[in-house]
Amino acid sequence: MRVELFDEPIALFNLDGEILATQDRCTHGDWSLADGFLENGVIECTLHWGKFCVRTGKVKAPPACAALTVYPVKVEGNDVYVDFESGKVND
Amino acid sequence: MTTAKTKTRLNIGHEPKAFEKKNVWNVEEITALLDEENGTLDPRIYSDQDLYELEQERVFGRSWIMLGHEAHVPKAGDFLTAYMGEDPVILVRQKDRSLKVFLNQCPHRGMRICRTDGGNAKSFTCSYHGWAYDIGGNLVNVPYESEAFCEDFNKAEWGPGQARVETYKGLIFANWDKNAPNLREYLGDATFYMDHMLDRTEAGTEVISGMQKWVIPCNWKFAAEQFCSDMYHAGTVSHLSGIEAGLPEGMELSDAKIPTVGYQFRAKWGGHGTGFYVGEPGMLVAIMGPKIAKYWTEGEAAARAERRLGSAERARQLMVQHMTVFPTCSFLPGINTVRTWQPRGPNETEIWAFTVVDADAPDEIKEEYRRQTLRTFSAGGVFEQDDGENWVEIQAVLRGHQARKRRLNIQMGKGRSAADNPHYPGSIGYVYNEEAARGLYHQWIRMMTEPDWDTLGPK
Repeated sequence: MRVELFDEPIALFNLDGEILATQDRCTHGDWSLADGFLENGVIECTLHWGKFCVRTGKVKAPPACAALTVYPVKVEGNDVYVDFESGKVND
Repeated sequence: MTTAKTKTRLNIGHEPKAFEKKNVWNVEEITALLDEENGTLDPRIYSDQDLYELEQERVFGRSWIMLGHEAHVPKAGDFLTAYMGEDPVILVRQKDRSLKVFLNQCPHRGMRICRTDGGNAKSFTCSYHGWAYDIGGNLVNVPYESEAFCEDFNKAEWGPGQARVETYKGLIFANWDKNAPNLREYLGDATFYMDHMLDRTEAGTEVISGMQKWVIPCNWKFAAEQFCSDMYHAGTVSHLSGIEAGLPEGMELSDAKIPTVGYQFRAKWGGHGTGFYVGEPGMLVAIMGPKIAKYWTEGEAAARAERRLGSAERARQLMVQHMTVFPTCSFLPGINTVRTWQPRGPNETEIWAFTVVDADAPDEIKEEYRRQTLRTFSAGGVFEQDDGENWVEIQAVLRGHQARKRRLNIQMGKGRSAADNPHYPGSIGYVYNEEAARGLYHQWIRMMTEPDWDTLGPK
Protein backbone atom coordinates (compact mmCIF):
# COMPACT_ATOMS: atom_id res chain seq x y z
CA MET A 1 0.00 0.00 0.00
CA ARG A 2 0.98 3.59 -0.65
CA VAL A 3 1.46 5.85 2.39
CA GLU A 4 1.68 9.61 1.90
CA LEU A 5 2.82 11.26 5.13
CA PHE A 6 5.95 13.08 4.00
CA ASP A 7 7.34 14.59 0.81
CA GLU A 8 8.37 11.19 -0.43
CA PRO A 9 5.51 8.65 -0.36
CA ILE A 10 6.48 5.17 0.76
CA ALA A 11 5.19 1.75 -0.24
CA LEU A 12 4.51 -0.90 2.39
CA PHE A 13 4.71 -4.55 1.37
CA ASN A 14 3.48 -7.63 3.17
CA LEU A 15 5.64 -10.68 2.41
CA ASP A 16 3.84 -13.54 4.12
CA GLY A 17 3.47 -11.46 7.29
CA GLU A 18 6.81 -9.65 7.10
CA ILE A 19 6.31 -5.91 6.56
CA LEU A 20 8.82 -4.06 4.38
CA ALA A 21 9.01 -0.41 3.27
CA THR A 22 10.56 1.22 0.20
CA GLN A 23 10.11 4.51 -1.59
CA ASP A 24 6.85 4.27 -3.54
CA ARG A 25 8.06 6.17 -6.60
CA CYS A 26 9.64 4.00 -9.27
CA THR A 27 13.19 5.26 -9.92
CA HIS A 28 12.62 4.89 -13.64
CA GLY A 29 9.27 6.38 -14.54
CA ASP A 30 7.81 8.30 -11.57
CA TRP A 31 4.91 5.92 -10.94
CA SER A 32 3.50 4.36 -7.79
CA LEU A 33 5.03 0.93 -7.10
CA ALA A 34 2.09 0.19 -4.78
CA ASP A 35 0.06 -0.25 -8.01
CA GLY A 36 2.51 -2.90 -9.19
CA PHE A 37 2.62 -6.68 -9.06
CA LEU A 38 4.36 -8.28 -6.07
CA GLU A 39 5.75 -11.77 -6.57
CA ASN A 40 8.41 -13.61 -4.56
CA GLY A 41 9.58 -10.40 -2.89
CA VAL A 42 9.97 -8.58 -6.21
CA ILE A 43 7.75 -5.63 -7.16
CA GLU A 44 7.10 -4.97 -10.87
CA CYS A 45 6.13 -1.43 -11.90
CA THR A 46 3.01 -1.37 -14.12
CA LEU A 47 4.37 1.44 -16.26
CA HIS A 48 7.44 -0.07 -17.94
CA TRP A 49 7.81 -3.37 -16.11
CA GLY A 50 10.99 -2.48 -14.22
CA LYS A 51 11.45 -4.74 -11.16
CA PHE A 52 12.95 -4.23 -7.69
CA CYS A 53 13.68 -6.43 -4.71
CA VAL A 54 11.51 -4.96 -1.96
CA ARG A 55 13.94 -6.23 0.74
CA THR A 56 17.14 -4.67 -0.64
CA GLY A 57 15.70 -2.12 -3.12
CA LYS A 58 18.03 -3.49 -5.81
CA VAL A 59 17.03 -3.48 -9.49
CA LYS A 60 15.83 -6.84 -10.76
CA ALA A 61 14.77 -5.91 -14.29
CA PRO A 62 15.41 -3.04 -16.74
CA PRO A 63 14.52 -0.41 -17.83
CA ALA A 64 14.99 0.58 -14.16
CA CYS A 65 18.66 1.13 -13.31
CA ALA A 66 18.69 2.96 -9.94
CA ALA A 67 17.90 1.11 -6.71
CA LEU A 68 15.03 2.09 -4.40
CA THR A 69 15.51 3.64 -0.99
CA VAL A 70 14.55 1.06 1.64
CA TYR A 71 13.46 1.94 5.18
CA PRO A 72 13.78 -0.01 8.42
CA VAL A 73 10.41 -1.20 9.74
CA LYS A 74 9.31 -2.20 13.23
CA VAL A 75 5.94 -3.81 13.95
CA GLU A 76 4.40 -3.53 17.41
CA GLY A 77 1.00 -5.17 17.67
CA ASN A 78 -1.09 -3.66 14.91
CA ASP A 79 1.15 -0.62 14.49
CA VAL A 80 3.81 -0.33 11.80
CA TYR A 81 6.71 2.07 12.47
CA VAL A 82 8.91 3.21 9.62
CA ASP A 83 12.27 4.89 10.36
CA PHE A 84 12.36 7.61 7.70
CA GLU A 85 15.68 9.00 9.00
CA SER A 86 17.51 5.75 8.28
CA GLY A 87 16.44 5.17 4.68
CA LYS A 88 19.28 3.87 2.54
CA VAL A 89 20.13 2.88 -1.00
CA ASN A 90 21.99 -0.40 -1.53
CA ASP A 91 24.07 0.05 -4.67
CA MET B 1 18.74 42.08 -33.27
CA THR B 2 16.43 39.51 -31.90
CA THR B 3 13.52 37.83 -33.52
CA ALA B 4 10.56 37.12 -31.33
CA LYS B 5 9.95 33.41 -31.27
CA THR B 6 6.51 32.95 -32.72
CA LYS B 7 4.69 29.94 -31.45
CA THR B 8 2.74 28.23 -34.15
CA ARG B 9 -0.37 26.40 -33.08
CA LEU B 10 0.22 22.69 -32.87
CA ASN B 11 -1.93 20.81 -35.33
CA ILE B 12 -3.15 17.71 -33.49
CA GLY B 13 -6.05 16.28 -35.44
CA HIS B 14 -8.84 18.68 -36.24
CA GLU B 15 -12.54 19.28 -36.08
CA PRO B 16 -13.76 18.80 -39.64
CA LYS B 17 -16.23 21.40 -40.88
CA ALA B 18 -17.77 19.09 -43.44
CA PHE B 19 -17.37 15.46 -44.40
CA GLU B 20 -13.71 14.50 -44.66
CA LYS B 21 -13.89 11.45 -46.82
CA LYS B 22 -13.71 12.21 -50.51
CA ASN B 23 -17.07 11.29 -51.86
CA VAL B 24 -17.13 9.24 -55.04
CA TRP B 25 -20.86 8.77 -54.44
CA ASN B 26 -22.84 12.01 -54.55
CA VAL B 27 -25.87 12.71 -52.36
CA GLU B 28 -28.38 11.89 -55.10
CA GLU B 29 -26.71 8.57 -55.83
CA ILE B 30 -26.65 7.53 -52.17
CA THR B 31 -30.24 8.66 -51.64
CA ALA B 32 -31.33 6.57 -54.64
CA LEU B 33 -29.94 3.37 -53.05
CA LEU B 34 -33.25 2.99 -51.17
CA ASP B 35 -36.59 3.67 -52.82
CA GLU B 36 -38.93 3.54 -49.83
CA GLU B 37 -41.98 4.40 -51.86
CA ASN B 38 -41.62 1.51 -54.25
CA GLY B 39 -39.82 -0.79 -51.83
CA THR B 40 -36.53 -1.46 -53.63
CA LEU B 41 -32.94 -1.49 -52.42
CA ASP B 42 -29.68 -1.34 -54.34
CA PRO B 43 -27.53 -4.34 -53.30
CA ARG B 44 -24.32 -2.34 -53.69
CA ILE B 45 -24.92 -1.06 -50.13
CA TYR B 46 -23.57 -4.47 -49.05
CA SER B 47 -20.60 -4.75 -51.38
CA ASP B 48 -19.22 -1.37 -52.41
CA GLN B 49 -15.82 -0.47 -50.95
CA ASP B 50 -16.34 3.28 -51.34
CA LEU B 51 -19.69 3.20 -49.53
CA TYR B 52 -18.03 1.11 -46.84
CA GLU B 53 -15.36 3.74 -46.27
CA LEU B 54 -17.95 6.54 -46.12
CA GLU B 55 -19.82 4.48 -43.52
CA GLN B 56 -16.81 4.49 -41.19
CA GLU B 57 -16.87 8.27 -40.98
CA ARG B 58 -20.54 9.04 -41.32
CA VAL B 59 -22.31 6.15 -39.56
CA PHE B 60 -19.75 4.74 -37.12
CA GLY B 61 -18.16 8.12 -36.43
CA ARG B 62 -21.48 9.66 -35.37
CA SER B 63 -23.80 6.95 -33.98
CA TRP B 64 -24.03 5.55 -30.46
CA ILE B 65 -22.18 2.22 -30.62
CA MET B 66 -22.79 -0.46 -27.99
CA LEU B 67 -19.53 -1.73 -26.47
CA GLY B 68 -20.53 -4.01 -23.61
CA HIS B 69 -22.37 -4.29 -20.31
CA GLU B 70 -21.58 -2.50 -17.05
CA ALA B 71 -21.12 -5.92 -15.47
CA HIS B 72 -18.16 -6.50 -17.82
CA VAL B 73 -16.24 -3.77 -15.94
CA PRO B 74 -17.47 -3.68 -12.33
CA LYS B 75 -14.32 -2.44 -10.54
CA ALA B 76 -11.99 0.54 -10.96
CA GLY B 77 -9.40 -0.31 -13.60
CA ASP B 78 -11.54 -3.04 -15.19
CA PHE B 79 -11.35 -2.64 -18.95
CA LEU B 80 -12.46 -4.13 -22.25
CA THR B 81 -10.93 -3.45 -25.62
CA ALA B 82 -13.66 -2.99 -28.22
CA TYR B 83 -14.39 -1.35 -31.56
CA MET B 84 -16.43 1.55 -32.88
CA GLY B 85 -16.61 0.63 -36.54
CA GLU B 86 -13.02 -0.26 -37.40
CA ASP B 87 -11.59 2.05 -34.74
CA PRO B 88 -10.22 0.13 -31.75
CA VAL B 89 -11.10 1.62 -28.37
CA ILE B 90 -10.45 0.93 -24.70
CA LEU B 91 -13.40 1.05 -22.30
CA VAL B 92 -12.28 1.54 -18.68
CA ARG B 93 -14.07 1.86 -15.33
CA GLN B 94 -12.63 4.86 -13.43
CA LYS B 95 -12.06 5.22 -9.70
CA ASP B 96 -15.13 7.50 -9.41
CA ARG B 97 -17.25 4.71 -11.05
CA SER B 98 -17.59 6.64 -14.31
CA LEU B 99 -16.61 5.06 -17.63
CA LYS B 100 -14.12 6.32 -20.19
CA VAL B 101 -13.71 5.26 -23.79
CA PHE B 102 -10.66 6.35 -25.74
CA LEU B 103 -8.99 5.39 -29.00
CA ASN B 104 -6.71 2.39 -28.61
CA GLN B 105 -3.93 4.11 -30.50
CA CYS B 106 -0.78 5.70 -29.15
CA PRO B 107 -0.57 9.21 -30.68
CA HIS B 108 3.22 8.85 -30.92
CA ARG B 109 3.68 6.39 -33.77
CA GLY B 110 0.16 4.95 -33.99
CA MET B 111 0.61 1.62 -32.21
CA ARG B 112 -2.21 -0.05 -30.26
CA ILE B 113 -1.95 1.03 -26.61
CA CYS B 114 -3.55 -2.10 -25.17
CA ARG B 115 -3.23 -5.48 -26.83
CA THR B 116 -5.42 -7.74 -24.71
CA ASP B 117 -9.19 -8.38 -24.74
CA GLY B 118 -9.80 -7.15 -21.20
CA GLY B 119 -8.77 -7.35 -17.56
CA ASN B 120 -7.84 -4.94 -14.78
CA ALA B 121 -5.19 -2.27 -15.30
CA LYS B 122 -3.47 0.41 -13.25
CA SER B 123 -2.08 1.96 -16.42
CA PHE B 124 -1.64 1.23 -20.12
CA THR B 125 1.79 1.25 -21.74
CA CYS B 126 2.43 1.22 -25.47
CA SER B 127 4.61 -1.80 -26.24
CA TYR B 128 6.54 0.07 -28.96
CA HIS B 129 8.35 2.92 -27.14
CA GLY B 130 6.77 2.83 -23.70
CA TRP B 131 4.54 5.90 -23.73
CA ALA B 132 2.32 5.24 -20.73
CA TYR B 133 -1.26 6.30 -19.98
CA ASP B 134 -3.34 6.26 -16.82
CA ILE B 135 -6.73 4.51 -16.84
CA GLY B 136 -8.40 7.75 -17.93
CA GLY B 137 -6.28 7.82 -21.10
CA ASN B 138 -4.02 10.68 -19.96
CA LEU B 139 -0.42 10.44 -21.11
CA VAL B 140 1.57 10.19 -17.86
CA ASN B 141 5.03 9.07 -18.90
CA VAL B 142 7.27 9.42 -21.93
CA PRO B 143 10.64 7.64 -21.70
CA TYR B 144 13.60 10.08 -22.01
CA GLU B 145 11.14 12.97 -22.10
CA SER B 146 13.54 15.61 -20.71
CA GLU B 147 16.59 14.28 -22.54
CA ALA B 148 15.08 13.69 -25.97
CA PHE B 149 11.97 15.78 -26.55
CA CYS B 150 11.68 19.42 -27.48
CA GLU B 151 11.01 22.07 -24.86
CA ASP B 152 7.44 22.74 -25.88
CA PHE B 153 6.47 19.07 -25.73
CA ASN B 154 3.34 18.93 -23.58
CA LYS B 155 2.08 15.53 -22.45
CA ALA B 156 -1.42 16.93 -21.89
CA GLU B 157 -1.76 17.41 -25.65
CA TRP B 158 -0.81 13.85 -26.53
CA GLY B 159 -3.47 11.59 -25.07
CA PRO B 160 -5.67 9.51 -27.38
CA GLY B 161 -9.04 10.91 -28.52
CA GLN B 162 -11.88 10.46 -26.03
CA ALA B 163 -15.40 9.37 -26.96
CA ARG B 164 -18.61 10.23 -25.12
CA VAL B 165 -19.91 7.37 -22.94
CA GLU B 166 -23.48 6.83 -21.72
CA THR B 167 -25.39 3.79 -20.50
CA TYR B 168 -28.90 2.50 -20.81
CA LYS B 169 -29.94 -0.03 -18.14
CA GLY B 170 -26.60 -1.79 -18.11
CA LEU B 171 -25.63 -1.48 -21.78
CA ILE B 172 -22.67 0.83 -22.45
CA PHE B 173 -22.68 2.98 -25.59
CA ALA B 174 -20.07 5.40 -26.91
CA ASN B 175 -20.13 8.13 -29.55
CA TRP B 176 -17.32 10.18 -31.12
CA ASP B 177 -19.58 13.06 -32.13
CA LYS B 178 -19.96 15.83 -29.56
CA ASN B 179 -22.99 17.18 -31.41
CA ALA B 180 -24.94 13.91 -31.41
CA PRO B 181 -28.05 13.82 -29.21
CA ASN B 182 -27.64 12.16 -25.81
CA LEU B 183 -28.20 8.41 -25.66
CA ARG B 184 -31.77 8.56 -24.27
CA GLU B 185 -32.82 10.94 -27.00
CA TYR B 186 -31.08 8.79 -29.60
CA LEU B 187 -32.85 5.62 -28.40
CA GLY B 188 -36.20 7.44 -28.30
CA ASP B 189 -39.24 5.14 -28.38
CA ALA B 190 -36.97 2.05 -28.73
CA THR B 191 -36.37 2.00 -24.95
CA PHE B 192 -39.95 0.77 -24.45
CA TYR B 193 -38.98 -2.43 -26.28
CA MET B 194 -35.45 -2.71 -24.85
CA ASP B 195 -36.99 -2.83 -21.39
CA HIS B 196 -38.59 -6.20 -22.18
CA MET B 197 -35.13 -7.67 -21.64
CA LEU B 198 -33.30 -5.05 -19.58
CA ASP B 199 -35.87 -4.00 -16.99
CA ARG B 200 -37.74 -7.06 -15.75
CA THR B 201 -36.49 -6.66 -12.18
CA GLU B 202 -35.19 -3.84 -10.00
CA ALA B 203 -31.94 -5.84 -9.79
CA GLY B 204 -31.33 -5.20 -13.50
CA THR B 205 -29.28 -7.55 -15.63
CA GLU B 206 -25.82 -9.03 -15.40
CA VAL B 207 -23.73 -10.85 -17.97
CA ILE B 208 -22.78 -14.48 -18.12
CA SER B 209 -19.04 -14.04 -18.15
CA GLY B 210 -17.16 -14.07 -21.39
CA MET B 211 -17.60 -12.51 -24.82
CA GLN B 212 -17.77 -14.78 -27.85
CA LYS B 213 -16.12 -13.41 -30.97
CA TRP B 214 -16.17 -14.89 -34.45
CA VAL B 215 -15.87 -13.78 -38.06
CA ILE B 216 -18.24 -14.41 -40.94
CA PRO B 217 -17.74 -13.29 -44.54
CA CYS B 218 -20.70 -10.96 -45.05
CA ASN B 219 -21.64 -7.31 -44.71
CA TRP B 220 -22.73 -6.18 -41.23
CA LYS B 221 -26.03 -4.81 -42.54
CA PHE B 222 -27.47 -8.26 -43.28
CA ALA B 223 -27.23 -9.11 -39.60
CA ALA B 224 -28.34 -5.70 -38.32
CA GLU B 225 -31.32 -5.70 -40.70
CA GLN B 226 -32.43 -9.21 -39.80
CA PHE B 227 -32.43 -8.52 -36.05
CA CYS B 228 -34.20 -5.22 -36.71
CA SER B 229 -36.91 -6.40 -39.00
CA ASP B 230 -36.96 -10.04 -40.09
CA MET B 231 -39.35 -12.40 -38.34
CA TYR B 232 -40.30 -13.70 -41.79
CA HIS B 233 -37.28 -16.04 -41.97
CA ALA B 234 -38.17 -17.53 -38.57
CA GLY B 235 -41.80 -18.08 -39.51
CA THR B 236 -40.99 -19.64 -42.88
CA VAL B 237 -38.01 -21.93 -43.47
CA SER B 238 -34.65 -20.73 -42.09
CA HIS B 239 -34.79 -22.29 -38.63
CA LEU B 240 -37.15 -25.25 -39.09
CA SER B 241 -34.46 -27.92 -39.05
CA GLY B 242 -32.83 -26.33 -36.01
CA ILE B 243 -36.10 -26.31 -34.15
CA GLU B 244 -36.84 -29.91 -35.12
CA ALA B 245 -33.38 -31.14 -34.15
CA GLY B 246 -33.45 -29.43 -30.76
CA LEU B 247 -36.99 -30.16 -29.62
CA PRO B 248 -37.07 -30.82 -25.88
CA GLU B 249 -37.91 -34.38 -24.86
CA GLY B 250 -41.58 -35.21 -25.20
CA MET B 251 -42.30 -32.19 -27.38
CA GLU B 252 -43.75 -32.73 -30.84
CA LEU B 253 -43.07 -30.38 -33.73
CA SER B 254 -46.79 -29.59 -33.74
CA ASP B 255 -46.38 -28.25 -30.17
CA ALA B 256 -43.89 -25.66 -31.41
CA LYS B 257 -46.68 -23.78 -33.08
CA ILE B 258 -45.64 -20.66 -34.93
CA PRO B 259 -47.89 -17.87 -33.67
CA THR B 260 -49.94 -15.96 -36.18
CA VAL B 261 -50.34 -12.83 -34.06
CA GLY B 262 -47.48 -10.39 -33.70
CA TYR B 263 -46.25 -6.87 -34.33
CA GLN B 264 -43.33 -5.04 -35.80
CA PHE B 265 -42.10 -1.65 -34.61
CA ARG B 266 -40.26 0.99 -36.62
CA ALA B 267 -38.82 3.78 -34.49
CA LYS B 268 -40.27 7.22 -35.11
CA TRP B 269 -36.68 8.37 -35.55
CA GLY B 270 -33.31 6.68 -35.61
CA GLY B 271 -33.51 3.43 -37.57
CA HIS B 272 -34.24 1.18 -34.59
CA GLY B 273 -36.64 -1.72 -35.01
CA THR B 274 -38.11 -4.74 -33.32
CA GLY B 275 -40.73 -7.42 -33.84
CA PHE B 276 -42.34 -10.16 -31.79
CA TYR B 277 -45.07 -12.74 -31.70
CA VAL B 278 -47.82 -12.52 -29.09
CA GLY B 279 -48.99 -15.62 -27.22
CA GLU B 280 -48.18 -19.29 -28.04
CA PRO B 281 -45.07 -19.97 -25.92
CA GLY B 282 -44.30 -23.12 -27.98
CA MET B 283 -41.63 -21.36 -30.06
CA LEU B 284 -39.80 -20.18 -26.94
CA VAL B 285 -39.97 -23.71 -25.47
CA ALA B 286 -38.60 -25.13 -28.73
CA ILE B 287 -35.70 -22.64 -28.84
CA MET B 288 -34.76 -22.23 -25.16
CA GLY B 289 -36.30 -25.28 -23.49
CA PRO B 290 -39.08 -25.59 -20.91
CA LYS B 291 -37.13 -24.20 -17.91
CA ILE B 292 -36.50 -20.82 -19.48
CA ALA B 293 -39.92 -20.64 -21.11
CA LYS B 294 -41.46 -21.22 -17.69
CA TYR B 295 -39.21 -18.63 -16.03
CA TRP B 296 -40.12 -16.06 -18.70
CA THR B 297 -43.88 -16.66 -18.71
CA GLU B 298 -44.85 -17.99 -15.25
CA GLY B 299 -43.87 -17.64 -11.60
CA GLU B 300 -42.52 -14.83 -9.44
CA ALA B 301 -39.98 -13.43 -11.93
CA ALA B 302 -42.63 -13.13 -14.63
CA ALA B 303 -45.06 -11.53 -12.16
CA ARG B 304 -42.41 -8.99 -11.17
CA ALA B 305 -41.69 -8.23 -14.83
CA GLU B 306 -45.41 -7.73 -15.36
CA ARG B 307 -45.53 -5.19 -12.51
CA ARG B 308 -42.48 -3.31 -13.77
CA LEU B 309 -43.55 -3.22 -17.39
CA GLY B 310 -47.18 -2.60 -16.47
CA SER B 311 -48.43 -5.22 -18.90
CA ALA B 312 -48.92 -8.98 -18.75
CA GLU B 313 -48.65 -9.13 -22.53
CA ARG B 314 -45.30 -7.34 -22.64
CA ALA B 315 -43.86 -9.30 -19.73
CA ARG B 316 -45.09 -12.83 -20.48
CA GLN B 317 -46.58 -13.15 -23.92
CA LEU B 318 -44.13 -11.51 -26.34
CA MET B 319 -42.31 -14.39 -27.95
CA VAL B 320 -39.03 -14.56 -29.84
CA GLN B 321 -38.54 -10.79 -29.90
CA HIS B 322 -35.77 -9.58 -32.22
CA MET B 323 -34.31 -6.07 -32.04
CA THR B 324 -31.64 -3.76 -33.42
CA VAL B 325 -30.64 -0.39 -32.05
CA PHE B 326 -29.12 1.43 -35.03
CA PRO B 327 -26.59 0.64 -36.26
CA THR B 328 -25.07 -2.48 -34.74
CA CYS B 329 -26.50 -3.29 -31.30
CA SER B 330 -28.79 -6.32 -31.60
CA PHE B 331 -30.44 -8.67 -29.11
CA LEU B 332 -33.26 -11.17 -28.60
CA PRO B 333 -35.33 -10.58 -25.43
CA GLY B 334 -36.26 -13.93 -23.89
CA ILE B 335 -33.33 -15.66 -25.54
CA ASN B 336 -31.15 -12.88 -24.11
CA THR B 337 -28.25 -13.01 -26.54
CA VAL B 338 -26.79 -9.52 -27.09
CA ARG B 339 -24.31 -8.75 -29.85
CA THR B 340 -22.62 -6.13 -31.97
CA TRP B 341 -21.86 -6.54 -35.66
CA GLN B 342 -18.38 -5.16 -36.15
CA PRO B 343 -17.61 -4.16 -39.73
CA ARG B 344 -14.35 -5.51 -41.18
CA GLY B 345 -14.57 -4.38 -44.77
CA PRO B 346 -17.69 -4.62 -46.94
CA ASN B 347 -17.39 -8.41 -47.08
CA GLU B 348 -16.67 -9.33 -43.49
CA THR B 349 -18.22 -8.97 -40.04
CA GLU B 350 -16.85 -9.81 -36.63
CA ILE B 351 -19.64 -10.80 -34.25
CA TRP B 352 -19.15 -10.09 -30.54
CA ALA B 353 -21.84 -11.77 -28.45
CA PHE B 354 -22.67 -12.15 -24.79
CA THR B 355 -25.67 -13.28 -22.76
CA VAL B 356 -27.53 -11.22 -20.18
CA VAL B 357 -29.68 -12.58 -17.35
CA ASP B 358 -31.80 -11.00 -14.63
CA ALA B 359 -29.24 -10.29 -11.90
CA ASP B 360 -31.53 -11.88 -9.30
CA ALA B 361 -32.43 -14.98 -11.32
CA PRO B 362 -31.77 -18.32 -9.57
CA ASP B 363 -28.38 -19.89 -10.39
CA GLU B 364 -30.17 -22.74 -12.12
CA ILE B 365 -31.81 -20.29 -14.56
CA LYS B 366 -28.52 -18.46 -15.18
CA GLU B 367 -26.85 -21.78 -15.97
CA GLU B 368 -29.73 -22.74 -18.26
CA TYR B 369 -29.37 -19.42 -20.12
CA ARG B 370 -25.66 -20.12 -20.53
CA ARG B 371 -26.29 -23.60 -21.95
CA GLN B 372 -29.19 -22.65 -24.19
CA THR B 373 -27.65 -19.52 -25.71
CA LEU B 374 -24.52 -21.54 -26.45
CA ARG B 375 -26.67 -24.17 -28.15
CA THR B 376 -28.80 -21.71 -30.13
CA PHE B 377 -27.10 -18.33 -30.68
CA SER B 378 -23.31 -18.44 -30.42
CA ALA B 379 -20.33 -19.18 -32.68
CA GLY B 380 -21.51 -22.81 -32.76
CA GLY B 381 -25.21 -22.17 -32.16
CA VAL B 382 -27.69 -24.02 -34.36
CA PHE B 383 -29.79 -20.95 -35.21
CA GLU B 384 -26.71 -18.80 -35.66
CA GLN B 385 -25.60 -21.23 -38.40
CA ASP B 386 -28.93 -20.89 -40.19
CA ASP B 387 -28.70 -17.10 -40.17
CA GLY B 388 -25.03 -16.93 -41.07
CA GLU B 389 -25.46 -19.38 -43.92
CA ASN B 390 -27.97 -17.07 -45.60
CA TRP B 391 -25.98 -13.86 -45.08
CA VAL B 392 -22.72 -15.41 -46.26
CA GLU B 393 -24.32 -16.91 -49.38
CA ILE B 394 -25.92 -13.59 -50.33
CA GLN B 395 -22.51 -11.90 -49.97
CA ALA B 396 -20.95 -14.54 -52.24
CA VAL B 397 -23.70 -14.04 -54.82
CA LEU B 398 -23.06 -10.29 -54.76
CA ARG B 399 -19.61 -10.87 -56.24
CA GLY B 400 -21.49 -11.14 -59.53
CA HIS B 401 -22.08 -8.07 -61.66
CA GLN B 402 -25.60 -9.11 -62.69
CA ALA B 403 -26.40 -9.80 -59.04
CA ARG B 404 -25.37 -6.29 -58.03
CA LYS B 405 -27.22 -4.66 -60.92
CA ARG B 406 -30.72 -5.77 -60.01
CA ARG B 407 -32.46 -3.96 -57.14
CA LEU B 408 -33.76 -6.14 -54.30
CA ASN B 409 -37.35 -6.35 -53.08
CA ILE B 410 -38.00 -4.68 -49.73
CA GLN B 411 -41.77 -4.18 -50.11
CA MET B 412 -43.26 -6.33 -47.36
CA GLY B 413 -45.86 -4.45 -45.29
CA LYS B 414 -45.44 -1.28 -47.34
CA GLY B 415 -48.02 1.35 -46.36
CA ARG B 416 -49.60 -0.83 -43.68
CA SER B 417 -47.89 0.39 -40.50
CA ALA B 418 -49.39 3.18 -38.42
CA ALA B 419 -48.48 5.15 -35.31
CA ASP B 420 -51.85 4.76 -33.62
CA ASN B 421 -51.52 1.54 -31.62
CA PRO B 422 -52.85 2.22 -28.10
CA HIS B 423 -50.41 -0.25 -26.50
CA TYR B 424 -47.22 0.07 -28.52
CA PRO B 425 -45.36 3.30 -29.38
CA GLY B 426 -43.80 3.99 -32.76
CA SER B 427 -44.97 2.89 -36.17
CA ILE B 428 -46.62 -0.52 -35.70
CA GLY B 429 -47.45 -3.12 -38.32
CA TYR B 430 -47.88 -6.87 -38.70
CA VAL B 431 -45.02 -9.09 -37.48
CA TYR B 432 -44.05 -10.20 -41.01
CA ASN B 433 -42.84 -6.91 -42.32
CA GLU B 434 -39.97 -4.93 -43.78
CA GLU B 435 -41.07 -1.55 -42.46
CA ALA B 436 -38.36 -1.64 -39.76
CA ALA B 437 -35.76 -2.58 -42.38
CA ARG B 438 -36.85 0.39 -44.48
CA GLY B 439 -36.47 2.47 -41.31
CA LEU B 440 -32.93 1.16 -40.74
CA TYR B 441 -31.85 1.93 -44.32
CA HIS B 442 -33.63 5.28 -44.22
CA GLN B 443 -31.52 6.24 -41.20
CA TRP B 444 -28.39 4.83 -42.85
CA ILE B 445 -28.98 7.00 -45.92
CA ARG B 446 -29.64 10.09 -43.82
CA MET B 447 -26.40 9.55 -41.91
CA MET B 448 -24.50 8.95 -45.14
CA THR B 449 -25.75 12.18 -46.72
CA GLU B 450 -26.56 14.80 -44.06
CA PRO B 451 -23.45 16.63 -42.84
CA ASP B 452 -24.54 17.55 -39.31
CA TRP B 453 -26.89 16.89 -36.41
CA ASP B 454 -28.76 20.16 -37.02
CA THR B 455 -30.85 18.30 -39.57
CA LEU B 456 -30.15 14.70 -38.48
CA GLY B 457 -31.37 14.94 -34.89
CA PRO B 458 -34.76 13.68 -33.70
CA LYS B 459 -37.46 16.31 -34.00
